[in-house]
Amino acid sequence: MDFTYTPEQRQLRDAVSALGRKYGHGYFVEKAKAGQHTTELWAEAGKLGYLGVNVPAEYGGGGGGITELAIVCEELAAAGCPLLLLVVSPAIAATVIARHGSAEQRTELLPGFADGSLTVAFAITEPEAGSNAHRLATVARRDGDDWLLSGRKCFISGVDQADRILVVARTTDAATGRLKPALFLVPTDAPGLTKSKLDMEIVSPENQWLLYLDDVRVPAGALIGDEDAGLPALFSGLNPERITVAAMSAGTARYALSRAADYAAKRAVWGKPIGTHQGVAHPLAHAQIQVELARLMIAKAASLYDAGSDLEAGVAANMAKYASAEAAALAVDTAIQVHGGNGMTTEYGVATLLGAVRAGRIAPVSREMILNFVAQHVLGQDKSY
Amino acid sequence: MNIVVLVKQVPDSGSERGLSADDKTVDRGSANNVINEMDEYAIEEALKIQEAHGGEVTVLTVGPQQAAESIRKALSMGPDKAMHVVDDALHGSCALATSKVLAAAIGRLSPDLVISGAESTDGRVQVIPHMIAERLGIAALTGARKLVVDGATLTVERQTDEGYEVVTAATPAVVSVWDTINEPRYPSFKGIMAAKKKPVETLSLADLGIAADEVGLSGASSAVVEAGKRPPRQGGTKVTDEGDGGVKLVEFLASEKFV
Ligand SMILES: Cc1cc2nc3c(=O)[nH]c(=O)nc-3n(C[C@H](O)[C@H](O)[C@H](O)COP(=O)(O)OP(=O)(O)OC[C@H]3O[C@@H](n4cnc5c(N)ncnc54)[C@H](O)[C@@H]3O)c2cc1C
Repeated sequence: MDFTYTPEQRQLRDAVSALGRKYGHGYFVEKAKAGQHTTELWAEAGKLGYLGVNVPAEYGGGGGGITELAIVCEELAAAGCPLLLLVVSPAIAATVIARHGSAEQRTELLPGFADGSLTVAFAITEPEAGSNAHRLATVARRDGDDWLLSGRKCFISGVDQADRILVVARTTDAATGRLKPALFLVPTDAPGLTKSKLDMEIVSPENQWLLYLDDVRVPAGALIGDEDAGLPALFSGLNPERITVAAMSAGTARYALSRAADYAAKRAVWGKPIGTHQGVAHPLAHAQIQVELARLMIAKAASLYDAGSDLEAGVAANMAKYASAEAAALAVDTAIQVHGGNGMTTEYGVATLLGAVRAGRIAPVSREMILNFVAQHVLGQDKSY
Repeated sequence: MNIVVLVKQVPDSGSERGLSADDKTVDRGSANNVINEMDEYAIEEALKIQEAHGGEVTVLTVGPQQAAESIRKALSMGPDKAMHVVDDALHGSCALATSKVLAAAIGRLSPDLVISGAESTDGRVQVIPHMIAERLGIAALTGARKLVVDGATLTVERQTDEGYEVVTAATPAVVSVWDTINEPRYPSFKGIMAAKKKPVETLSLADLGIAADEVGLSGASSAVVEAGKRPPRQGGTKVTDEGDGGVKLVEFLASEKFV
């Protein structure tokens, strides 16, 4: 077993970290509060190929894997810029298209993922179908060669920044008459598609949206793969999603802990720095250990995924997502406590992460659903639902 | 225009640094070793000249085996190839000896232009570019904040305490640069992956025709006799405004060479 990254992976980490620090958390918060996006950072990271590390080289991408993309997610977050759209666009959408898209779809879309010029949102969640994807009610009906999509989606991140949305809908299986999932690429300006912004208590330049699809017409070429590709295509996006979101949480946790460690080493209330009190230092050390354990699981999951062990990677990715979300929530909470009143100010830049890390325990898959997964698939328990 | 960029690996100036207890050389073993910050500006300047005028950019490093990682990092920014002089006998070399090795290596590459950082964050002597120019018998344009290449003519704005001087020379020449000259690029992911495949020629002292006793601790022209920790920072100067606060502030800034 080898716990070292390759020299190239280490260099990528250094380079992304340097770029992230050039922008920093102050920039991230400023954009969020102004209702703007981190367009400059996204464009620069894209131009440098950091957003397309996992896109196959033949389409202009970096030819790396999810290990590399997780490094990008983690280091940007560790610099105070946790970008959720990295999880949605390069991790989920680019993977789904690279693995299940038609030749035309790959040729048309992957170069845009490679340089970050194309952003694709991902829409699965519905008001009546969150954790339970079996209840998806968005349907796709054939109309000549076209498809007509109708339904509602909620909590969809980055629709205002995206060029297209990868929409999970259901089609009727010709043989059995049963509904099965199918993935469609819908342009964000398609007629019949409307969106409304959700007010979220998360300090983030990225927004969540409600989507209404009212007979949105897309051509046959908008279907990913063919009608039978839906389920495998959907599954192919899950591991990259979990691994990169976990990496983002771990980076956010590192950012909060480094702020807290700096503060604890300098702030002196009783003559000595507060970090000398074990009541302050131990919670930080505890959180640090949780974060490192999560990072280890993220590295394992990414390594298994890149080696092609999808099933084993699935268990590790879920565990990494769980551990990392819990560690990040703990790290940010601890960092705030260490900062005292300053912890709640905008200036010190830790409470600004509260909403994001709290959401990490719910999305993209809740901690309970991961515990269900582990209980059933690792521990062999029957389920109640 | 063929350019050689000098790149040195140094302990990260942002973290704790020290000298080895036994021979008082820079402790590289326990340090986080990185590219000397100013050298990134030298690389950027070389790449900009290459983009405008063509030619080849070669990274030249004299340093221990572990400096290879810094060479790869330098190459990831865009240079074409590298030369690495590694030899155990080099450990503890003084500036004079280092310049001898660098000059010999540059001699094998015969570039039109040598670009280096104005100083390294560990040694901080600022003499290597001058020494190399002297050894090679070419012009030294040091401490540049701007460099213009026009055919075989180099024009440099040389940063001084009071302002700047405009200095020109014909190639071949050595130019050393400050961090005011440009904004170094971040290595792209493709650059990082491509660096792995770029040629790095490794040379020993024997390859350069230099004897072991001309360099290293034993051959050093200077010796570190004693070293101590920098005294803790003193409390700052307080300026009380008695109507002349502005003047006093400017006087202070001027005395510290901020204005
Ligand atoms: C910031 C943010 C960004 C998001 N971005 C996107 C996006 O880009 N695209 C997208 O499609 N979706 C997105 N989502 C939606 C997200 O994936 C869902 O919120 C999440 O899957 C949970 O679904 P739900 O909200 O419907 O909760 P529900 O399914 O209603 O669950 C409510 C609670 O009940 C628990 N629960 C449900 N079933 C069980 C069970 N069987 N056993 C135990 N506990 C159970 C859950 O764990 C949860 O705590 C985003 C959400 C947030 C907060």
